[in-house]
Amino acid sequence: MTLPLSSYRLRLPLSLSIAAVVTALSMAVALGLQTLANLREDQGRNAMTLGHAMAGVQIQALRNDDVWLAYSLLRGPDGGGDAVWILVDQAGRIFASNRPRRFRLDQPIESALPWLPQAQPQVFDEMPGRVSRVDHDEVRRVLRLPLYSDDSQVGELIALLSDAPYLPRFREILIGGILVTGTILLILLPIGWLWGRRMVGPLVRLAECMGRVGREDPRRMQCTLPDDDSEIGRLGRQFAAMLSALAQKETLEQQMIQAERLAAVGRVAAGVAHEVNNPLGGMLMAIDTYRRAHPVDAQTERLLNLLERALRQIQGSVSALLVEARADLRTLTRDDLEDVKTLAQPNRVKARVSLRWENACDTAIHLPAAPVRQLLLNLVLNAVQAAQGNGHVEVRITTEDHHLTMRIENSGRVIPPEQLLHLFEPYPASRPHTQGLGLWVCYQIVSQLGGTIRAEADGDVTRFLVSLPLTSESPV
Amino acid sequence: MSAVWEHRVDRLGLCHACRRGRPEDPKMSLPCSRRTVIAGLLASGVGLASGRMEPVRASSEPLRFGLTPVVPDDRITFLAGWADWIETQCGRPVEFVQRSRYREILDLLLQGRIDLAWICGYPYIRNRSHLGLIAVPRFQGRPLYQSYFIVGADSEIERLHDLEGRLFAWADPDSNSGYLYPRFRLSSDGRDPDRFFRRTFFAWGHPRCVEAVAEGLADGAAVDSYVWETLALSHPTLITQTRVLERSPEFGFPPIVAGPSLSERERQLIRRVLLSQVQDPAGRSLLNELNLDSFGLEAPDLYDDIARMAGRLTEGSGA
Repeated sequence: MTLPLSSYRLRLPLSLSIAAVVTALSMAVALGLQTLANLREDQGRNAMTLGHAMAGVQIQALRNDDVWLAYSLLRGPDGGGDAVWILVDQAGRIFASNRPRRFRLDQPIESALPWLPQAQPQVFDEMPGRVSRVDHDEVRRVLRLPLYSDDSQVGELIALLSDAPYLPRFREILIGGILVTGTILLILLPIGWLWGRRMVGPLVRLAECMGRVGREDPRRMQCTLPDDDSEIGRLGRQFAAMLSALAQKETLEQQMIQAERLAAVGRVAAGVAHEVNNPLGGMLMAIDTYRRAHPVDAQTERLLNLLERALRQIQGSVSALLVEARADLRTLTRDDLEDVKTLAQPNRVKARVSLRWENACDTAIHLPAAPVRQLLLNLVLNAVQAAQGNGHVEVRITTEDHHLTMRIENSGRVIPPEQLLHLFEPYPASRPHTQGLGLWVCYQIVSQLGGTIRAEADGDVTRFLVSLPLTSESPV
Repeated sequence: MSAVWEHRVDRLGLCHACRRGRPEDPKMSLPCSRRTVIAGLLASGVGLASGRMEPVRASSEPLRFGLTPVVPDDRITFLAGWADWIETQCGRPVEFVQRSRYREILDLLLQGRIDLAWICGYPYIRNRSHLGLIAVPRFQGRPLYQSYFIVGADSEIERLHDLEGRLFAWADPDSNSGYLYPRFRLSSDGRDPDRFFRRTFFAWGHPRCVEAVAEGLADGAAVDSYVWETLALSHPTLITQTRVLERSPEFGFPPIVAGPSLSERERQLIRRVLLSQVQDPAGRSLLNELNLDSFGLEAPDLYDDIARMAGRLTEGSGA
């Protein structure tokens, strides 16, 4: 997998590493510079101390013209150390130095160090040592210590101090810094990589999920979204809220479409029934009139009976489409609902279905009794039929918040989603073998009573939820 | 030369009366010997109570043996071993007395503050009447040595005269190989040894002369061949930084001499001990450490060459 440089999976470890490198190097440089400053200070102080310590014997060496004494003092046990020491006599000639090849005996100091400024005549009691900064021939600082004997200057001790001895230490510090940086990088790079992945993982899932919006039904989208206290978690929650709002909107739209469609179907059915019922009534009345006006022989009687039965069948079929929920004026009681249980009993036993019945209503319910009974019976019989063969059905009836709520659940075959869309239509195409008016009737009753009916599939459980608003004291 | 001498004495804090004295004249130093002794005692850290030495001492008194930088005198362990060996041979403890200047040892010897000393042939011939020749070391089979003119190993100097106008280190004003002979050599060529070089200084000892040349402090020096050859064995890295420019004729090797305080009997005793050292295994290994073959008995005329040279140089400079 190739990652673009803009990916946080690369940018995060890289940023960490760059921060670590910059920090470590800055530390190394700062430490190095501080050490250099300290070492320079120490060097100056040490040179001053050494110069003062040597001064007495060097004055004696100058006075006695003892070159070897002066030289062996300057040379010291380690060849004079880091500093270049030069002893100059009264006449400004080199008397001794710990770099004898470069600073020759008797050489005028002006020719050996042409850049060295002329020594200022100093007041005797003034601080004799002074480190001044120069930058010449790798000489960074010069210590000049005039030597006085009996108030007159007999010579001068000059120390040339350079940074050269500190370069190895500086290099050590830098190498140390680089090693530390490398070690930190070795630790940080994998950590940064993992952190980047952890941080980016939820974002990637979020982006993936967002990409599915518009292409998929938001109600059925399964997304694992980040849900923690971080900003990404907030983003995930906001997105989940947006997704659920989308799903709700989708559901509402679907319900509206369904309701409109069912309403249109209802109007068509009512229109058709009305148009059919009028001539049908006329024809039945004509048969009846004919019977009364004429004596009817057996053959005619058989014919008329045939005609009448056919017309009654048409009338029955048409009136099945026309549900008149509010025609019944009797108020619903608890017993009406319990009757349904009894009425469904034979079917239940035959289908070997267990029934759990929970009826929380104990007073009169301000709803017309007959349509609600029919509604409940239809739904329970449907459920028993769907759950046949050792299934179970559960019915809960409650009244709360001025609504009668009925919940009918059954196990068994699950209604596929595409069928759910057309569930309440009459003569559904998916169930051509049934008469198919049961749910249509249910829907008509519910909508005429101003309630809602909803079917949902939850795993292997199919659930119908009916909510009916209670009417005011006197039912219509 | 005398100017340098004065500085040297002054540095040691000795009396001013001595500064005017000619070092080779013991009579001149006698009048101030007491003050010199006191000052010398102070300088050497010995208590005043010891005072002047007794003319005759009990045999338990240590034999005081002065050493000058004619030999590698910085090897304390070796010297302790040698002292022990001499003590077992002659029954008297031996105490080595070291000074960086030849003159100090010579003064102590002439004043009887030390019994015998290993000094250079040049101070010996100047004080022959007061000193008794005990033994002469044999180096490379003979009681002789040379003076080497040395320069830096990478120096462009090819001949002695190339050193003109250069920096030169003397070993000691009382050294034959490091002072008398090189001056004589230049005088023989008609050059003034005080003006031939741009600048000279005393390094006080042959090993230091070698160091001065090796480290570039001096362009050249004249050193004892025995010291140079011995250093070549013990400090080869130092010696490889120098190169021998010219070798002198051979002279009598720096002798071990007795001062006036040592009786004839004791002189015989110590002479016998030293001459027999080569026959004793322990003594022989000590000689090996000294890079010497043995100690031998030589006539004082071994040093006549040095005496002639000194005489001629004194005449030359006096003229």
